[in-house]
Amino acid sequence: MSDPVRRRRPSAPRRQVALLDYALGALARRRGRNLAIVVGLAFTTGLFASVLFLTSALTREYTRSIDAAPDVTVQRVVAGRPALIPESEGADLASLRGVRAVHGRVWGYLFLPSIGANVTVIGARGLDAPAGAIDLSVDGVPTASLLPGGRRPRATNEALLGARLAANLGVWTGDRVALPTPSHGFETLVVTGVFTSESAVHTADVALVSEHTARVLLGVPDGLATDLAISLRNPNERSVVARRAALLPGARVLERDGLRRAYALTFGARAGVLAAALLPTLAALLLLAWDRLTGLSAAERREIGILKTIGWETRDVLTARMWESGLVAAAGAALGLIGAYAHVFWFDAAGLSGVIFGWSALYPTLALVPSVGLGQVGAVAGLVIVPFVAISVVPAWRAATLDPDQALRAAA
Amino acid sequence: MSAVLTHQPPAPTVEVTDAVKRYRDGRREIVAVDRLTLAVDAGSLLAVTGPSGSGKTTLLGILGGLITPTSGDARICGRSVVRLRDHHRARWRRAHVGFVLQDLALIDGMTVLENALLPLAPSGGASSADVAQARTRLAHFGLADRVEVKARTLSGGERQRAAIVRALAHDPDVLLLDEPTAHLDQDNVSRVVGMLAELRDAGRTIVVATHDPRLYDAPAVDRAVRLVDGRLG
Repeated sequence: MSDPVRRRRPSAPRRQVALLDYALGALARRRGRNLAIVVGLAFTTGLFASVLFLTSALTREYTRSIDAAPDVTVQRVVAGRPALIPESEGADLASLRGVRAVHGRVWGYLFLPSIGANVTVIGARGLDAPAGAIDLSVDGVPTASLLPGGRRPRATNEALLGARLAANLGVWTGDRVALPTPSHGFETLVVTGVFTSESAVHTADVALVSEHTARVLLGVPDGLATDLAISLRNPNERSVVARRAALLPGARVLERDGLRRAYALTFGARAGVLAAALLPTLAALLLLAWDRLTGLSAAERREIGILKTIGWETRDVLTARMWESGLVAAAGAALGLIGAYAHVFWFDAAGLSGVIFGWSALYPTLALVPSVGLGQVGAVAGLVIVPFVAISVVPAWRAATLDPDQALRAAA
Repeated sequence: MSAVLTHQPPAPTVEVTDAVKRYRDGRREIVAVDRLTLAVDAGSLLAVTGPSGSGKTTLLGILGGLITPTSGDARICGRSVVRLRDHHRARWRRAHVGFVLQDLALIDGMTVLENALLPLAPSGGASSADVAQARTRLAHFGLADRVEVKARTLSGGERQRAAIVRALAHDPDVLLLDEPTAHLDQDNVSRVVGMLAELRDAGRTIVVATHDPRLYDAPAVDRAVRLVDGRLG
């Protein structure tokens, strides 16, 4: 018996392409409804992705910063306020087993009214190191790179500025910049170079100066330091060293791992709370989509009736409907992800940064370094696409199994 | 006989044997087809007439394997389709039967050509040869200048002709049409009857359900049967 269909049995990819082509046409025919769902999905995906991207970029920031932080930092607190600590108190700690070095760090904040933000002045010891990348990790700054045309400070009253800070101040290599002193005067510094760093925070507000210049600017007398940085030869000795350091008068001891946990908890909790608050939005959208998708319009019933009548099988109709839903979800998720990327990395996460940063007032502008993993994109896309396509299955099945007889009678 | 319509069926025929189709409408039971036996000869044009509600559309659905009878048998090209699973029946129907239903005609948002090629999508889409053949058939039936327009812009007569071309996409042995001349003027009725005669002459088996005397009284019709309350009158 002749069987033309059997003669032209298609390969699976060809069949899928043909049904996809039909689904694209169906999308265009129902463009109003589909566009509304795409916009809703894009908005919801964008909200989730913004929170995730922002948290990820911040995690990257604090990870970079903490990686460059001393193994153990000892501060002094007097009457609940940070106070200067004598460098001599580090001598005892230096003799402990496993300690490589202890040195006093001179750093602090200077408020600049002209940009309405604080500058972090760091008296850096690494500045007199050989040429190349500047490894300032001992001073708590990740590895930085000088931009062309710059050089390291060779004398007092010279400074290296983070690229973002230099841009905010409107200065460049060779320019001068005046920073306030505790005596209500100003110190004029020559900008000998501008550096970039993997950490946006450090390029946003750090001025690297010699230790002497830092003492002048911050009013830190010789023999005192902002804190003591302890680097360890053997990281396993960290808790021993920390316990010993805690015995110093008024000591507040910060361990690198403790800082990491604190940051992770802070940003993780804020992002988690925000994401949880957004869940009802996703649920509402999915409910709305369910409502829209479950009700087959008369035109859709008629169309399915036609397809079944002309020989489409249930699985053909179901596949085409799934393609349609999948394309809508993928388009919504893709738009949402692109929008979130632009929101976080091009528009400084406006409206969201304040909730997550907490310390955003310190920086007039903080352009985060993009940090987006495929896993994150997959997770957000999955969070939207999977539930959406899942809720599309039932109406798609109902549509696909519509008895041609019913379709016949409905249309008759 | 036109080359584009030539068809060489092995032994196309459709038949129902002692077919009954009952529907439930709330508590009321409706018998749309009642112990009906009918065989359609290969290469013939049969008209099924009768008043509205007499069971013509249901009979057409059973003949085409679209509606499963409550009891009895239906065979398409020698094979019983009553007990076939849904997808097997759909595949058999796609291979052997072309449907033209009065109200389930064309998808308005698609072009005439897209509609004509729509049955081919589950088979992997239209090849260039399929497209060329569809264009030739559309032109043959006077739709050459309407190929790329949306179906919603077609007149009633043009819609019927386009729907018939679509039903020919898989080169079926059997063509079933429900009220193909309803709401058409005399010119268009003549064109549709002419088309059916050409297709029948090309070897296809054709069944039309109609209550239009301009069709069932036409000389091209080989045989007409009358249906009353689901039975042959």
